[in-house]
Amino acid sequence: MIRVLWWRGLLFACLWWILAEGRLDGWLLGSIAVVAATWASVALWPPAAHDVRLAALPAFLAFFLTNSVRGGWQVALMALRGRGALQPAFLELPLNLPAGVPQVLMTNVLSLMPGTVGVELVAELTNARLRLHVLHQDLPVVAEARALEQRIAALFGVSA
Amino acid sequence: MNDIDLVVALFLLGNLIVALLAAARGPTAADRMLMALLFGTTGTGILVLLAQVMNIPALVDVALVLALLAAIGGVAFARRAWQGDGHD
Amino acid sequence: MTDWLSGALLIVGAFFYAAGTLGLLRFPDVYSRLHALAKADNLGLGCVLLGLALQAESLAAGLKLLLIWPLALAASSAVAYAIARRADRLGVKPWRKDAP
Repeated sequence: MIRVLWWRGLLFACLWWILAEGRLDGWLLGSIAVVAATWASVALWPPAAHDVRLAALPAFLAFFLTNSVRGGWQVALMALRGRGALQPAFLELPLNLPAGVPQVLMTNVLSLMPGTVGVELVAELTNARLRLHVLHQDLPVVAEARALEQRIAALFGVSA
Repeated sequence: MNDIDLVVALFLLGNLIVALLAAARGPTAADRMLMALLFGTTGTGILVLLAQVMNIPALVDVALVLALLAAIGGVAFARRAWQGDGHD
Repeated sequence: MTDWLSGALLIVGAFFYAAGTLGLLRFPDVYSRLHALAKADNLGLGCVLLGLALQAESLAAGLKLLLIWPLALAASSAVAYAIARRADRLGVKPWRKDAP
């Protein structure tokens, strides 16, 4: 608990430093804001449920960056070619991640990955699944979604 | 560098106008909601460019807040106000 | 060198914004248009922010610009999900090539 408070407080302090653009004259207000933000974050997102493994973060960010560049490039090419490049389809993907933050993160990140947009997250206990809209039905979206799932599982230190 | 900044800002402004007109044309209510996305991305892009061109750093804060509001506003609108709007 | 890279990033960013708008104009239904806006426009914003961050006067000012990106990403993906879900609930059918 103390560890979590310390890390979150440090994070919010860094955030304040960035927002104040490094100026030092606002730190009285800043420390109040940091304490308030830490308190609110613990109240709204209690620690221990799904904590991010900092060690897994760089790999996740690298994965996210490469794939969002790929996704943007792919959709840009399709836009240049017009609707002839599309063969859209709906797809239902069973989710192996635990409910809560991991599933929501998966849904949101998939909308920024190549070819997919999340349409509906059905967070049932035994049969969690995600309805996706796919730009072209021949895209290897399932394999890519599984890769993302592994990254998110590693990020939260859970199994998928 | 200010020349490129300004040109790109104006280019994005033109982009935003065209995209807003296209989104407003519909045909469905869902298409019109795309305007919320446009303000979040193109709007912030223009603001940060103008902050640099006109040397007004406060515009970066405006862009930050706009990006934040785009998230909150968009989800709130889709969750609440839009419910029960069956005639598309 | 930094100036050159910054300018290049801004131009690449502008390209992705234009591609997003083009997708909005040319794609046939709201779902495909979401792809164009959620992915291309966000990448455009990312390039523009990175380009401007390279011109920033201090480290904190540059980081502040980069901080906008995750916010805009969260905004776009949340709004895109909300729009797609509502459209689906309201019975908007996705466009199919074989059944125009």
